[in-house]
Amino acid sequence: MIDSTAKGRWHVIALCLAALLIVSACSQTPAGGTPSASGGATTGGTITLWTAWGGNELKTFRDVLKPFTDKTKIDVRITTVRDVAQLAINVEAGTTLPDIAGPPTPDKIKDWAAKSVMKPLESFLDMTAYTRDTYSALTTCASSDCIGIGVAGGKHYQLFVKTQVKGLFWYNAKVFKGDPPKTWDDLLKVPVSGNQKRFCVGLESGDASGWPATDMIENIVMRQSGADVYQKWIDGKQKWTSPEIKQAFQSFGQTVSADNVFGGPTTVLSTNFGRAGKPLFANPPGCLFLEQATFITNFFLEDYKDLKSVSDFNFFPHPSFNSANAGNIEGFADSFVMYNDTPQARELMKYLATADAQKIFVAAGGTLAANKTVTNFPDPIFKNANDMVAAAKNVLVDASDAMPADMNKAFWRATLEFTKDQSKIDSILQGLDQVQASSYK
Amino acid sequence: MDDRIITALGAVIGVPLLLGGYLWVTEQLLARLPRRVQPTVRPYVWVFPAVAFAFVFMVLPAINTVILSFLDRRGTTFVGLDNYVFFFTNPDTIASLKNNILWLVFFTGFSVIGGLLCAILFDRIRYETLAKTAVFLPLPISAVASSIIWKFMYQYDPPGAVQTGTLNAAIGTLGFDPVAWLIDSTTNNFALIFVGIWTATGFAMTIISASLKSIAAELLEAARVDGASELRVLWTIVVPLLLPTLTVVGTTLTIQALRVFDIPYVLTSGAYGTDVIASQMFTRLQNGQYDRASTVAVVLLVVIIPLMLINIRRFRQQEEIR
Repeated sequence: MIDSTAKGRWHVIALCLAALLIVSACSQTPAGGTPSASGGATTGGTITLWTAWGGNELKTFRDVLKPFTDKTKIDVRITTVRDVAQLAINVEAGTTLPDIAGPPTPDKIKDWAAKSVMKPLESFLDMTAYTRDTYSALTTCASSDCIGIGVAGGKHYQLFVKTQVKGLFWYNAKVFKGDPPKTWDDLLKVPVSGNQKRFCVGLESGDASGWPATDMIENIVMRQSGADVYQKWIDGKQKWTSPEIKQAFQSFGQTVSADNVFGGPTTVLSTNFGRAGKPLFANPPGCLFLEQATFITNFFLEDYKDLKSVSDFNFFPHPSFNSANAGNIEGFADSFVMYNDTPQARELMKYLATADAQKIFVAAGGTLAANKTVTNFPDPIFKNANDMVAAAKNVLVDASDAMPADMNKAFWRATLEFTKDQSKIDSILQGLDQVQASSYK
Repeated sequence: MDDRIITALGAVIGVPLLLGGYLWVTEQLLARLPRRVQPTVRPYVWVFPAVAFAFVFMVLPAINTVILSFLDRRGTTFVGLDNYVFFFTNPDTIASLKNNILWLVFFTGFSVIGGLLCAILFDRIRYETLAKTAVFLPLPISAVASSIIWKFMYQYDPPGAVQTGTLNAAIGTLGFDPVAWLIDSTTNNFALIFVGIWTATGFAMTIISASLKSIAAELLEAARVDGASELRVLWTIVVPLLLPTLTVVGTTLTIQALRVFDIPYVLTSGAYGTDVIASQMFTRLQNGQYDRASTVAVVLLVVIIPLMLINIRRFRQQEEIR
């Protein structure tokens, strides 16, 4: 009797041990690569990388990575993570971070730099070459902190790889043949024929609906009131009810008023941003101009396969409000941040900074590199955009994206409510002031 | 092999093994207790893992949520009722609360009444199964998918253009201008609630119908023999007998109405005055405002608990009848 119980006990222990073994096997982390002893190029190992890209953009990114993987044999494991808040959730929870990923929202930059969540480019990159070759507006910081471009405590954290220019006015070159209007007033005086409207606008974009309007308002603020007001606005020190911002909303209102916009405000609200340009090329054309960033050409070509750039569609820069603010343009740049300092991650970051890597992005079309020496644009229009960025005095970041997340979302929402009913401007701006008062804590 | 597969395998094999091991060990220990005590102790030992799991993964987080709702954004200093004051004074949350009340009244009301009517009417026709299937069909579709279906139905194109939205195409043939169902403040909340009703009526019908079938035919026959009209039979016999079922369906749908998120999120993302409480929680969580998100969660919890108690009590009563 005693014997069999003892036997049973051993069975149990053996079983528990087996179970434990299996469970602990699961929690094992993947083995790292083999950093070479001499400090030369690393070979083998893995990198975990998060990106928001999917579809064609992701395919291009894989093309960019291919020469790197072929050469170093480092396995880059890409996960598409659309939600920018996911990083913050992991940081907050103290769970694993990807080795490399996009930057957090700008309000986190200083905090994460101070806590060494992000690793500075200075720790591994040749900064002289990087700052020499990259558009200066993306690397130059007058003070020690420029959260919009990922500079904190005098160190750079964001490695820029791609650039887009926002606030361009696209038109059908077969329809609009006049001189590009130089000022906002000129723009509103461009003759419009028949049932045509002056503008096409589309603000629908799922739960980010309204963002195209925030870009439009930002482009107005930086030209109407200048870079300083723009920065104060980002930092939460410029009230939404201030005359500067209200004026910008009103100017934006001219582009979505029933008189000026294709289909009226309701169409603006129910049209997806990517499809907004369709009426430009319809027969008869529904509108003359669409304000959007460089990437929109991809959508033109999706809707109308045979369009040729320059001869069929082209852009002119945003008309100015005040000559004192000429040279301010709005850019949007993709960047990567290193979160885990591994030899493999350093290797990849260095590679992404090179002209060779960024050439592949540019060759795929629809974007500028961050490296200004890369000019292999398949589309002549991008050469113009490149010249614009290179000549710009200030490439200002997307203000709404640089604001705290709840401020940004409230701004998106506000543009929708404003477009729907412009007479509510004061209560809408007061609502934004309330969010501003609580979201910059 | 991918380590995720190993993890999955480990979980599939390891967890049952661990549980089996647990039961084995505890059985050995139980065997040492006096025989009389064993039956009393055993259920507690067996139920312990499940209760521990529920405690660690549900009760503790719930308690933590309540605590967070009284702290500041960083979760360090006690701020008293500040978050609750914000909740009940912020125009966004008040608008959301109002919308939830709309959902509560119209979604629950129409789904229950619709389900009841369908169940009673379909009971009297020969092609009952076919009719029930038609009403039931939207139920298995996930809320996101049905919202996307309805996004196409509600699609708006400018007057004069080809209307790609089914509804606007239909009213267009009758000579009306297209309506921006999801943007126009007079229609948008009802457009969203209708999507909910479309999916929930099938649920209500199925449950009510099952309960309807269990009413003894003799009872109805007796009433009819006594000369009661069909309406009278319905009103004084069928409906009172269905009342427990209607309460359960009603409370379940009320809870659904209170925590509705997916339909407004997909169709309007809460814009144009269609926001609901649950999406307030979602956005605040996304924005890293754990204090305010927790507050929303606690308010929702407090509102839902009485409904759950009603439901549980009803279930108990039904068990007793059986």
